[in-house]
Amino acid sequence: MYLRTLERKKAFWGFVFTIPAIVFFAIFSFYPMANAFWMSFFRKELLSLKAPKFIGFNNYIYLFKSEAFWNSIKATTIFAIGTFIPMVVFSLIFAALILTRRRFQKFLQMAYYSPAVLSSVVAAAIWLLIFDPRGLSNQFLNFIFSTKGIDYHWLSNESMLRFATIIVYFWKYVGYFTIIFVAGMASIPRSVHEAAIIDGANKWQDFFYITLPLIKPTTLLVSVMSMIQCLRTFSTQYLFVQGGAPLKPIDVITLNIYNTAIRDRQIGRASAMSVILFSIIMSFSYLQIKFSKTEDVTY
Amino acid sequence: MKQSIFIDIIIWLFLIIFAVFILTPIVFMFTASIMSSRNIMKIPYPWISGEFKWENYWQAIKGNDGKFFYLKSIWNSFLVASLTTIGTVLLCSLTGYGLAKYRFKGRTFIFLMILSTMMIPFEAIMIPLYLIVTNMGMQDTYAGLIVPLLMNAFGIFMMRQYLLTFPDELIDAARIDGTSEFGIYWRIVLPNSLPAITTLAILTFRSQWDNLLWPLLVIQSPEKKTIPLYIIQFATEKYTNEGAMMAAAVIASIPMFVLFFTLTKYFLSGAELFAARKD
Repeated sequence: MYLRTLERKKAFWGFVFTIPAIVFFAIFSFYPMANAFWMSFFRKELLSLKAPKFIGFNNYIYLFKSEAFWNSIKATTIFAIGTFIPMVVFSLIFAALILTRRRFQKFLQMAYYSPAVLSSVVAAAIWLLIFDPRGLSNQFLNFIFSTKGIDYHWLSNESMLRFATIIVYFWKYVGYFTIIFVAGMASIPRSVHEAAIIDGANKWQDFFYITLPLIKPTTLLVSVMSMIQCLRTFSTQYLFVQGGAPLKPIDVITLNIYNTAIRDRQIGRASAMSVILFSIIMSFSYLQIKFSKTEDVTY
Repeated sequence: MKQSIFIDIIIWLFLIIFAVFILTPIVFMFTASIMSSRNIMKIPYPWISGEFKWENYWQAIKGNDGKFFYLKSIWNSFLVASLTTIGTVLLCSLTGYGLAKYRFKGRTFIFLMILSTMMIPFEAIMIPLYLIVTNMGMQDTYAGLIVPLLMNAFGIFMMRQYLLTFPDELIDAARIDGTSEFGIYWRIVLPNSLPAITTLAILTFRSQWDNLLWPLLVIQSPEKKTIPLYIIQFATEKYTNEGAMMAAAVIASIPMFVLFFTLTKYFLSGAELFAARKD
């Protein structure tokens, strides 16, 4: 009898402890999500007292016909792919190489990680000065190509501007993913490598046939994570545009949503874009969960 | 043997070149923060100019309009980040504890619903969130910056995973001693989960300290701006004072660098946690 009331009491309290979370996520996650879907079917203007007008799929039709929207999709895709591939490849290489170092290993890890400590606005502000026509980036290129005084138009030429935002992001996050790979690689038992070496494998074979397959879950996870991260980019592009760079090449979808809702006051249209962004990121998240569940390795 | 030394040198060169690439902008920030604009934009860049223009820091704090809004925005950032951190730690650990140590109807369902919110990117719901906050009258207030970020699925997930391994004996002993259920959480569980709490606290503090998008939407009045908004404003002024902008950047980075160098373990374990999110 006592035990049963105790069980009941515990069940009651367990539920009570989760109530704040239930309320919180209902108001600040599920409701806004549903609301975004709902509003994407309306013509609604920010701050306007006019009742929102139901227009069905017209927001979506408008977007799919709009050049600016496709430009955003293009800008986002170029940024995401252009950042994510080098980020994954280089962080993998760095992690593998850092782990072969006996000396200064911790120092290298911390040095590579350090940009991740800075806030994204600070990072963008530093690079804004570096990409100035008189800045370090031009000096560097002029040194490499042994040219003199050429301005490579980092912030005005369309492709250079895209490249510039990619560099900022790559610089900021490559160390972060390196650390994740270091953790993944360090968790492979030493005995596995030793067995491979005894069987006559050299270092390359050990890396390609032992390390790489064993950290496959980490690689997949890092790929999806960095992809999602890239699709959500905002600060760098926003600051660069504020600093005078042209909007079009780097008008990524988050920036477009922000401008459509706040500057153009088109809440309905911005919601439709949010739903599209959500669907894209959601499919990547789905992959992330699928990979992280099925690809468990046993040593 | 000779070949392996050769490869060794190549690897060192590669790693060092990239370390230089990674560290150069940070060194640039520090050196530029004590230089005049003329020197910052000099070709070639004078790394060691012998110039110590500490006025840049004064200028950064004073602002171009002399209203000392940077001091206010530092305070705002600090206040918002600290309050969010305290709230997140308390609420996420409470929920995590409830989910880890109590059996009740709907427990799995609630947990899965919470986890599913990890799939909702903030950027996709920011507009409706902004409308909610406006409707609640929290626009342009600290509450508007804090409340919608008080909990996150990852924090709950992390606390739950950590508390699953929390010894039941401790909890039962307290219960036998007559401690209330909330008392157990408050006096036994909370003080004994410091490692997980520290990691969560750092992650939360840092993400609020960095946050640009949300304050950009919520905050309008200059005296409520946070540091990222202040720096943005510095970059958009017609006559940018580069040195002062870098000084502001240095000041904004100091708390994070201090945390990083004193609590490296937690910083790096925050990164590793993501890798460990497999289970």
